Amino acid sequence: MNATRLRLILLISALSLLVAVMPVLAQTPDENTLIIGQSVDVGALDPASVNSRAEANIFFHVFGTLFEIGDDGVLRPFLATEYAISEDGKEWTFTLNEGLTCHDGEALTAEDVAYSFERAADPANAFTGNTAGFALPAIGYQGMRVDGDLQVTVLTDRYQTPNLRLALISEVYIHCKDSYSALSLEEAGQNPIGSGPYRFVEWVPDDHITLEAVEGYTLRPTNFQTQIWRVIPEASTRVAELIAGNVDVINNVPPDQIEAVNASGTAQVQAVAGTRRIYVGFQFGENFADAPGYEALQKTEVRVALQYAIDVPTICQTLLGTECERASSMVNPPNNNPNLEPYPYDPARAEELLDAAGYPRGENGVRFETVLMGPRGRYLNDANVVQAIGQYLSDIGVQTTVDIRDWADYRQLISPKEVGPMFFLGTGGGTWDALYDMADLSGPDAGTNYTNWNNQEWFTRWDSLADIRDLDEERTVINEMLEIFYNDPPWLMLYFQPDFYGVSNRLNWSARRDEWIVIYNATLK
Amino acid sequence: MFVEGQGEHLAPLIWMRRFMGQYIVRRLLQSIIVIFGVTLLSFLTLHLAGDPTYFYVSERASEEEINETRIKLGFDKPLPVQYLNFLGNLARGDLGMSIRSRKPAIELVMERLPATLELTFFAMLISIVVAIPIGIIAATRRGTAADGGIMLMAMFGQSMPSFWLGIMLIIFVGLQLKWLPISGHVAVIQPFMDGNIAEGFGNIPDAIRFLIMPGVTIGLFSLSRNARLVRSSMLEVLSQDYVVTARSKGLRERVIIMRHAFRNALIPIVTMLGLEFGFLLSGVVVTETVFSWPGVGRLVTNAITQRDIPVVQASVVVFAVLFIIINLLVDIIYAQLDPRIRLR
Repeated sequence: MNATRLRLILLISALSLLVAVMPVLAQTPDENTLIIGQSVDVGALDPASVNSRAEANIFFHVFGTLFEIGDDGVLRPFLATEYAISEDGKEWTFTLNEGLTCHDGEALTAEDVAYSFERAADPANAFTGNTAGFALPAIGYQGMRVDGDLQVTVLTDRYQTPNLRLALISEVYIHCKDSYSALSLEEAGQNPIGSGPYRFVEWVPDDHITLEAVEGYTLRPTNFQTQIWRVIPEASTRVAELIAGNVDVINNVPPDQIEAVNASGTAQVQAVAGTRRIYVGFQFGENFADAPGYEALQKTEVRVALQYAIDVPTICQTLLGTECERASSMVNPPNNNPNLEPYPYDPARAEELLDAAGYPRGENGVRFETVLMGPRGRYLNDANVVQAIGQYLSDIGVQTTVDIRDWADYRQLISPKEVGPMFFLGTGGGTWDALYDMADLSGPDAGTNYTNWNNQEWFTRWDSLADIRDLDEERTVINEMLEIFYNDPPWLMLYFQPDFYGVSNRLNWSARRDEWIVIYNATLK
Repeated sequence: MFVEGQGEHLAPLIWMRRFMGQYIVRRLLQSIIVIFGVTLLSFLTLHLAGDPTYFYVSERASEEEINETRIKLGFDKPLPVQYLNFLGNLARGDLGMSIRSRKPAIELVMERLPATLELTFFAMLISIVVAIPIGIIAATRRGTAADGGIMLMAMFGQSMPSFWLGIMLIIFVGLQLKWLPISGHVAVIQPFMDGNIAEGFGNIPDAIRFLIMPGVTIGLFSLSRNARLVRSSMLEVLSQDYVVTARSKGLRERVIIMRHAFRNALIPIVTMLGLEFGFLLSGVVVTETVFSWPGVGRLVTNAITQRDIPVVQASVVVFAVLFIIINLLVDIIYAQLDPRIRLR
């Protein structure tokens, strides 16, 4: 055998060995491990600084909360067993379960609950994010009072309907005082010491976070010993990992890959109507007075007419890859006004109403011109949906120029309310209380009232809610307000954004509507 | 001390050192100018995107909060003043805090740099180790089917966009054949840096499995280009008189190729090494996202979409400094090998 032939044989042998070994390299999760693939990583792991849903999903398993929002939208006790409201409605006293501990073994008492709220609210810590930036201001947080080992009171400046308040309080993650007061802010952001069913093991930035079940945790099941939250930013890679059986649950499955997942035999896609409300806002701000179409859009009749112009079910089917129901108001079902029917797609009716409103078609077929602004890269297929809406409006003679911007640029215009005369937007909502969704319009000058809508009938009723304790009476006012919103629409109501989750066939797990991935109760089939 | 007449045999060495020293100083000065230019460009480009204050406030922030933030962060000052502040902080190694994670931007970049270097060097290894033999084979068998096949593959390698190649590898090699992991990373450099030598060595086999697909994705273009370069360089050298002389002396073909021709053919490859590193480094930006590789490329991609200005600036500066250092080293080595270079 000459040297060349020998080298060739050795090379082929080496390659064969490599190929033979390769099939065992792909790693699939074992029966004690659950792997979730999310599209983004966490920014930090401080319980007082939750900035994204991806972070909240992980925090929910590491930290306990006084109450929790169930997958059915119902609020249930978690670390607390019950609550009581003071006569003036401003003090909310919670009673804790006995024998609670944090993951470092420290006993979790009322003092720790008070510390968790105080630490999040402390201006010296300068926390941004959901707890400090939204939940605490929204409850009118004033401070905490420790009433005993197991009793703690949240002090606020106003009464609030229980579901709304408990939902907001459920976004405060409870941690122990001794553990956290010994940590710097930077240390606290790297090594969370929790109070929930899973303890933190490691975080490799942009790669994964590993959690481990807390032995003997009684408040929640821990069906898997280990949870690994992988970061897989590219959608097609996430789908490939799911189909290969390397991950159990992924979020944000692209609509064009749903069929591939369902045909794989290893996983299925669960589509849910999310709680994010997608709409087109009509701008009332006077800084848009010279913008095309502004004057026409100030008329209620015109705004109502435009509601009939958009074929929302077809947009959902063709551009979002699923069936969806058109929204009848800004409130998520089942908390919306049941008497309100979504506007149907009826372009003839839209044209009729525009004629009656004093905007007949001109010789060129145009009633008036306007501009629709929208983002690219924030919501499901957003740019294409905006294009479709622009075309539907042009079809009824409202000549619409579509102005699409990258999300990073677009979001800069939202806070100062510099979007208009029409703009496409989506805002997060909830399933637990209508008022949570309606809080976007809590005042004419509210930061989230991006349209600058100023209907006094609405805002008078909003203010009156602070004095109403009777839930039926509250519901009556809410229904009236939603009717006002329906008849004098500041939004062109579209749909609740569908969310697509890929779920391994080995798993029993149901996706929720509110974008939370709550996985502690998942089981193997 | 050099005493005349006592060390004349050292004169060329001293002469070389003096010129080498001048050459290094000249290259260092050039590098500083380049780094200064990079900082200016990165500063200006990111400010062209608009008022950066909006990246630091939430969507719900009021105008008052926005103004306060603008003043607090110094964005109310004229651009030249902001730039001077930026340079002053840079000199102290402070490139600001990440908007998203509130950690020092430079720290975030340095945390992820080992993973990026693993990928870049692996891709570089592939692009050199594979390119050289196939380039030589193509050159020594010019006009044969082997040559044609290699050049055809090289052309494909240069034509395929890396993101497409990455996704195809994931689908066929990872998903269908299940030969390699689809995405993820096993660290090698980081354990060594942490002093966990055994872990670092132990991770190498797994790390290679995770490196193959992203490494090929990044390195295939360079591999193809290098193979063509080796081939043309070898063809040129093989037609030189000294090779003809070597053949006429009866030397074995392998000795002619490896000892005489290949050494000289390598010079253009060495010239390319520095640039190659920069090219591969830029390739990680897309590839790290496709393969969920936790490196600087991913960090910078996320930072751009979130307009995390300090992180983008830190990444650009670190990439630029790395590129300049590598090129400086390559130039110095090259100047050592070829004295004509340092005299230019």
